[in-house]
Amino acid sequence: MAWWRGPDVWLPWCLLAAALVAVPVLGDDYLAYQLGLYLLYGLVTQGIALTWGRCGFLPLGQALFFGLGAYVSGAVLKGSEHQALWWAAWPLAVLGPAVLAWALARVLFARRFESGPFFSLITLALGMLGFQIASQWSSVTGGFNGLGGIPDLPGLDRYARLYWLIVGVVLLATAAWVALDRLPIGTLWRATAEQENRLQFFGFATDRLKALAFGLSGALGGLAGALYAPHQGLVTPPVMGFQLSAELVIWAAVGGRSSPYGALLGAVGIGWLSATLRQEFVYWEVIVALLFIAVVLRFPGGAVSLAAPLWRRLARRSASPRAVPAPTRPGPRDDEVLVFEGVRVVQHGVTILDGLDLRVATRGVHGLIGPNGAGKTSTFNALTARLPLAAGRIRWCGEDLAGLTADAIARRGVGRKFQIPSIFPALTVAEHLRIATWAQRAHGMDLLRMRTQHWRTPLRDAVEAELPFLVEASGRPAGELSQGQRQMLELVLTLLPEPRLLLLDEPCAGLSTHETAQQLALIATAVARLQTTALLIEHDFSAVERLATQVHVLHQGRLLASGTLAQLQADAAVQAVYAGGRK
Amino acid sequence: MDALVGTYALNLLYQCALLALVALGLAIVFGQLGIMNMAHGEFLMLGAYAMVVVQRAGLPLWTGVLLAGVACALLGAVVERILIRPLVSRPFDTLLATWGLGILLRKSVEAGFGRGYQSIDHGWTGTLQVAGAPYPAYRLGLMAAIAIALGALAWWYRRSPAGARVQAMVSNPGLAEAMGLNTRRLALGAFVVGCVCAGVAGALLAPLVRIEPAMGMDWLLASFFVLVVGGLGSLGGLLAGAALIGGTQVAVASALDATAGSVAVLLLAILFLWRRPHGLVARP
Repeated sequence: MAWWRGPDVWLPWCLLAAALVAVPVLGDDYLAYQLGLYLLYGLVTQGIALTWGRCGFLPLGQALFFGLGAYVSGAVLKGSEHQALWWAAWPLAVLGPAVLAWALARVLFARRFESGPFFSLITLALGMLGFQIASQWSSVTGGFNGLGGIPDLPGLDRYARLYWLIVGVVLLATAAWVALDRLPIGTLWRATAEQENRLQFFGFATDRLKALAFGLSGALGGLAGALYAPHQGLVTPPVMGFQLSAELVIWAAVGGRSSPYGALLGAVGIGWLSATLRQEFVYWEVIVALLFIAVVLRFPGGAVSLAAPLWRRLARRSASPRAVPAPTRPGPRDDEVLVFEGVRVVQHGVTILDGLDLRVATRGVHGLIGPNGAGKTSTFNALTARLPLAAGRIRWCGEDLAGLTADAIARRGVGRKFQIPSIFPALTVAEHLRIATWAQRAHGMDLLRMRTQHWRTPLRDAVEAELPFLVEASGRPAGELSQGQRQMLELVLTLLPEPRLLLLDEPCAGLSTHETAQQLALIATAVARLQTTALLIEHDFSAVERLATQVHVLHQGRLLASGTLAQLQADAAVQAVYAGGRK
Repeated sequence: MDALVGTYALNLLYQCALLALVALGLAIVFGQLGIMNMAHGEFLMLGAYAMVVVQRAGLPLWTGVLLAGVACALLGAVVERILIRPLVSRPFDTLLATWGLGILLRKSVEAGFGRGYQSIDHGWTGTLQVAGAPYPAYRLGLMAAIAIALGALAWWYRRSPAGARVQAMVSNPGLAEAMGLNTRRLALGAFVVGCVCAGVAGALLAPLVRIEPAMGMDWLLASFFVLVVGGLGSLGGLLAGAALIGGTQVAVASALDATAGSVAVLLLAILFLWRRPHGLVARP
């Protein structure tokens, strides 16, 4: 299925195109000229909608990219009057801001798995710095007077034909925005905004996903700026200013933060009104600020969400029966051995793992038991880079995992099911299954192909046959599932990437007897089918007895004993720990 | 030469003390409550305009400090009830809401006072001889006051029951509530104290800086950088951050120019976020 199928996709786009064409036909050229400016602002705002509405991080200095594009484009156009070679540099007006944005996001997101205020404030600071440099570096930027006398783009008179170029760019950008949203990358962006942590455990490098989005938003800003220069003929420092950056965010919020149409609506609607009313009515901007606060508090979807019911009706379409076989995952290797050597983990002065030695060399389920506080979940956290090691080494397939990030470890075939199911509440069950199917299978361009949406694997077919709710509830948001269904979904999500080492943290917690049996059966068949190694944390000994061939007992951050469950039940030291006889 | 070095050192110390003062309010609200108050700079701006109001009314200037504290306390309480509390489970939205609040305050002051610069004519132009060179007495007094205020605050936070309650709420809100602490009132109190700190800082700074509606942005960013570099949650972090940011700013600005100083500070903050996200002094 192509991405443009469905009236919810093409209808709004055609309406937008018709409206933009109608303006100079029904109105006059000057009206179109004015509208052109706000359409350019709308382009920048679409970049904010992509990062904020889709990926969940808010840039507060977006005018920097707009201004950068405008200055470069202005300088090139002025230079081209004397020397045509200057034109070669024109793409820099778009590429420069894009690369700057991408690099910045790579650096800022490299070490974090959240999108909190740090990013927003750094972008704010960068925007203000850009303004400062633009004002003071007069030899290049013309200082406060700016770059004036910028000529038209060849053959595109700014009061007549340039409008059509702007309309073309806006329509293309809108289509690209919608396309990205419907491609696998769009699903991953929304998942990043919801539960970035979980996405990393699928093996997705979320910092790269976010950097890509921010790079695209920088490109949109640069593109808008590149057209702004010939449109206005003058570029002054306020194009980078924080005033404009603040307005861009307001337009995105009021118009609708997660829609390319909302971005255009906000920029054209509020922006145009402000330009006239701010002069005449001294309290106008106070009212706009109040409107913004009201939208944040009460109406996060913005103006376009008013049309949401209509949208949903248009979006109703039959599920596609198409199935494309997904690439296969590597099968068992000979060196699949997990080794903990003297692992120490210390948090807030408390020793959690105290020289843990553990060797897991045989396939099948290994039980990991021990009283509360023995360090079971911490063992998983240390293994998946969520707790730093104070000493010791962890090796998997002979490779030292030190210094690897959580997503890099997941890409080495380590899958983890969390104790508390961590799903993406707003994503549908079907989207969950798709993400898990893409995990470690989709590389580079796969995420930009509609085909990837239809990937199927034999394991997924088997699991869906086993658990009918996965199909029945496929169109519902996962946040609506019951606790038991969430536990099962979480387990399925961990199984679908076909990990070589499966970490299961209390997979049956909170399940009914019937559900527990179902869950255990699923684990048993999956482990047998994949011939994988699994570590199972479980307090329910009957579950351990049913699945595990080998059991390891942890106590106070150390390995107390290993063996079969029967052997351990006869072990005096283990008995003492469980009976509380020995501390 | 010695006098020059002495003056330079005093300027450095002065810059750091100012940063510590300005960042204190944000350190309480962001460091303790975890709320990124984007309107922090606007509370400072309001404090400075309180001095303008007092001066226009012909009242003695010290009443401006009082007015700044009272106004920011009232505004902070209202803001906490209307904006912060309803969004307590949506931390990202508090960022947005306080960002909107900042715009609102800026635009309101702009509508009321105009965009132009204001200034405070204090009569305190006396100087004192320090290390063989004259130094403005107001600056010296301000530095002493900042030192005393920070010391008193640290002592109060460590020793007083209220301080212990705030610490309990910060480290585990659920448990604190279960033990009978009124965390709503504590959070309100801490937020108001943060706002008052910002307002009073603005009033004290008013005679030294350019007063305009958009003045808060620079101070918000400076405070944020101090916290990023120093680390959240401790007075030691606040001081370390103020020293490093202030030192970098002054050193680079005097070697090159003010813009280079801002660039250096920004790069330093980015470097910290990248390589050392918990700052110089990690939360104990």
